[in-house]
Amino acid sequence: MNMVTERIEKIRQNYVNAKPALSCERAWLWTESHKKTEGLPVCIRRARAFYDCCDQMDVHIFEGELVVGAIGEHRKCGILTPEFSWLWVDKEMDTFSSRPQDPYEMTDEQRKFMREKVFPYWKGKSLEEAFLARLPEDTKKIGVDTGVIDSDSKWRQAVGEITPDYQDVLFKKGFGGLIREAEEHIAQLDLSCAGDEEKKDFYESTIWTSKGIIRLANRYADEAERMAGEEKDPKRAEELRAIARNCRAVPENPPKSFYEAIQFVWFVQLGGILSENPLALNPGRFDQYMDPYYEADLQKGAITEDFAQELIEALWLKYSEWVWTISSNTADYFAGYNQFQNLTVGGKKRDGTDGTNPITYMALKATEEVKSHQPGLSVRVQADCPKEFLDAVTHLVSKGTGFPAIHSDSVGYQMLLNLGYEPEDARDWNNCGCVVPHFRKTGEWTSAANLNFGSALEYALNQGHSLMTGEMMGLDEKPAKDFTSYEEVKEAFYKQFDNLCRHAVISLLTAQRLHQEMVPRPFLSSCNENCMATGKDLSQGGAKYNVGPVITGIGLAVVANSLAAVRKLVFEDKVCDMETLAKALQANWEGYEDLRAKAQECPKYGNDDDYVDSIANEVANHYYHEVHQYKDVFGNPFTTAFMGISNYIPMGRVLGATPCGRKNGEPSSEGVSPYVGTDKSTPLAAMRSTAKVNQEIHSGGTLLNLRLNHDLVATKRGQANLGAMIQTLFSLGAFHVQFNCISSKVLRDAQAHPENYKDLLVRVAGYSTQFVNLSKSMQDAIIARTEHSEF
Amino acid sequence: MGGYIMQLQNFSVNDGEGIRTIVFMAGCPLRCAWCSNPEGQTMDNSMVHWMETEDILKELRRQAIFYRNSGGGVTFSGGEATAQPEFLREMVDALYDEGFSLAIETCGQFNFEKLEPVLRKMDLIFMDLKHIDPEQHRKFTGVDNAVILENIRRTSQLGVPFVVRIPSILGVNCDDAAMDGAFAFLRDNAPTASLEFLPYHRYGENKYKELGMDLPDEGFGTPTQEQLDAWKARAAEYGIHVVSYR
Repeated sequence: MNMVTERIEKIRQNYVNAKPALSCERAWLWTESHKKTEGLPVCIRRARAFYDCCDQMDVHIFEGELVVGAIGEHRKCGILTPEFSWLWVDKEMDTFSSRPQDPYEMTDEQRKFMREKVFPYWKGKSLEEAFLARLPEDTKKIGVDTGVIDSDSKWRQAVGEITPDYQDVLFKKGFGGLIREAEEHIAQLDLSCAGDEEKKDFYESTIWTSKGIIRLANRYADEAERMAGEEKDPKRAEELRAIARNCRAVPENPPKSFYEAIQFVWFVQLGGILSENPLALNPGRFDQYMDPYYEADLQKGAITEDFAQELIEALWLKYSEWVWTISSNTADYFAGYNQFQNLTVGGKKRDGTDGTNPITYMALKATEEVKSHQPGLSVRVQADCPKEFLDAVTHLVSKGTGFPAIHSDSVGYQMLLNLGYEPEDARDWNNCGCVVPHFRKTGEWTSAANLNFGSALEYALNQGHSLMTGEMMGLDEKPAKDFTSYEEVKEAFYKQFDNLCRHAVISLLTAQRLHQEMVPRPFLSSCNENCMATGKDLSQGGAKYNVGPVITGIGLAVVANSLAAVRKLVFEDKVCDMETLAKALQANWEGYEDLRAKAQECPKYGNDDDYVDSIANEVANHYYHEVHQYKDVFGNPFTTAFMGISNYIPMGRVLGATPCGRKNGEPSSEGVSPYVGTDKSTPLAAMRSTAKVNQEIHSGGTLLNLRLNHDLVATKRGQANLGAMIQTLFSLGAFHVQFNCISSKVLRDAQAHPENYKDLLVRVAGYSTQFVNLSKSMQDAIIARTEHSEF
Repeated sequence: MGGYIMQLQNFSVNDGEGIRTIVFMAGCPLRCAWCSNPEGQTMDNSMVHWMETEDILKELRRQAIFYRNSGGGVTFSGGEATAQPEFLREMVDALYDEGFSLAIETCGQFNFEKLEPVLRKMDLIFMDLKHIDPEQHRKFTGVDNAVILENIRRTSQLGVPFVVRIPSILGVNCDDAAMDGAFAFLRDNAPTASLEFLPYHRYGENKYKELGMDLPDEGFGTPTQEQLDAWKARAAEYGIHVVSYR
């Protein structure tokens, strides 16, 4: 058992301690390029801008690096993409350094520069402005910065949510091969045929981006050679020469060694970042595509296990040093500088045999050793996976980092089958973002909109109005006192609910059309096999599989608990009438403390109680049918999910008191997880409740967060029992579970003394991040999760 | 039929293999001065209720999937698991026929002939040895240890995996004489038994308050890890296999 090398520890310390800073370089080069390409097809303009960035941005090889390629001048760095949105940046950048969630360093000079040199060009041209101009007023009222329907990561940011295809495209062809492929396609086109011109534009755009990334790599090779010449330490000089050789070879050509493959992977990531600053640019099934290089190098004696481990850890830190730049609103939903680069290990191969290999274990070990919040490490656990694998998974859980995110191999497979994937492709799934089953030949918006379930119930019980603002937000409804049965309440809820679904769909259709028109994605399209085969950009539906946008439901537990409370308190036990309950909610329970206590005693989802669990299941089924009936711009049905992210906090903030006993503004519930603190039985009961939801139909992913007392998993025996719990949960039909194993005591101490806990990782929802980088309200929400221990 | 129950505790991991449910059965022939489940001493207090056997079985069957994946099962405890022998036998017979893995945790104060068929259906038996000295045993538990020692001896001959537990309490049984005496007894009379030390804890105190009972003697203390390690080493010198279900 070796520890991290001195080099890795140094880089790690910098990652833990440095505050992220913004670079204006990419935004400026992108803008300057666009000034020169007015009138050209938009895909070409974007590709040329990408090329110009690669050609002109400064290259930086930082101290001790083995894997090179920087997105800007800072080691821990974020960039700006004004073509998507500059409005929020302009509005918010004065407080970037001081905002509570995910602050960035930015100097006054930089702000002045952006306002003078960059923003003016984009005025009226950004995706955000076009979206806001086109969105119907009634949808805008409940769908823009409201916390009711939230889709802003799809029109203030790029889509991301893509997995480059290393197996069949990148490692086979290299970007040099892709250029030749595009040229061959162009030679076959006939510009007198309608449609061929568009294809030609597409192929030319990929040639520009491929040449760009090759150019950038060669500039790094030049820089490494220059530095090697000046380097006094012969060991470092040799390292720099090796870096130079790598950058000459990849990503132009297929990698010939493990080291080249690692450098290749980072260049693809770098290209993706420069092209659109994406969320969820997933490395995918890392163990599957890296292992052949590792085993071949081992056989040749070209690599040692220790060096391979060091390279993996160096890559982990590269993933973590890039910071996703987002609005404060988005940061509320995706807290913790999280880029959602999901890396999946374990699970079945395409032929159905077990896919674990040495890289699987090295990836788990890398996360344990460097404790970086990226990549988002996911594992696929199948019923008869090797014992060693399950042991390694539960061992990492016991370290309290919140990693890995644990997924059911077979439910992920089922989710993709339900979307119409061929069985071999479905079996080859990887995770996207946090908990979305995905595949490298897919175009998809996996976190397209968040939908506040609680709002629908609020509007049903409050004549269509928001409790907290009094504003009319939903559809007309009769006063709550006139409801004469539980069924009537439920119908009123569904009426409002369906209306919210409809507006979410409208907002996404608007965004999808705009993406087609305004922000094609040549670089990432070139990493997708079918886009290259058909000459069609990802944004035009060029992928083999195009999955309808995913709408994420927030507050399943709140709604189930609340409907159960209405049913029990008003219509069964007749503790109060509807009028009294509605008044209590309007009063935020003040003056109704006894009633609130009774509401809190009603059955709660998460305790294996069918009374309320059946309501959760019914609402989830309704949600699926309602959303699934809508078709996106490619004719595919919209998709449902109960994902996490941190969206349950802002969505709770706008939600008034709810019949379950929750007060104004308190957090809602996340994924298919129970409401915080109400799963009082055992984790087994919580698991059982969540597995009653038909998770496999919600192909956008489902999420369950649990906290376990650390003592419970401190021993091998405890970890074995945890493994059995996980297998049981999956055999019941659940897709995902993740654990926080840090005691409340430690978390409170970290809140009080953040300086002592800079590398403390916690599970937020679908991902882990540094606890000290979360705002106070996020930290409190995590501490509030029920800690399960045995007695 | 049915019986008096304190609770069914799912997701228990320290009283047998895997993930288990503990059936806490009410009633006890002993009155241990340090008792951590005082509500189990009688069948008629506010923390005890009657449950039909069939309802208990239903609840246990719901948990079976967790037992299967973890190698767990059901552990009968108390109070005293043998204080309602017919009720116990009814549950054990049904669960045994359904293939459940079964364990029992008992104070050892029972009629061996009557209980033997139940014990033979167990996959694991835990039995306490609270003090090797009969007078001290009587002083702290209300009865001497004659029946218990004899039952340990006979249980050891059943061929069922067997763990003798010593609740280790400073001020009661943590002197060298008591420990050496216990080890020697086990070596000579229960050669197949493993040994587990259960360090004293005071988690049951709020139950005393709820039941309006006087709290256990403040003088009872928890041994340190060093003391426990020393006794484990000492027990090993007697050839005794020491185990832990932590």
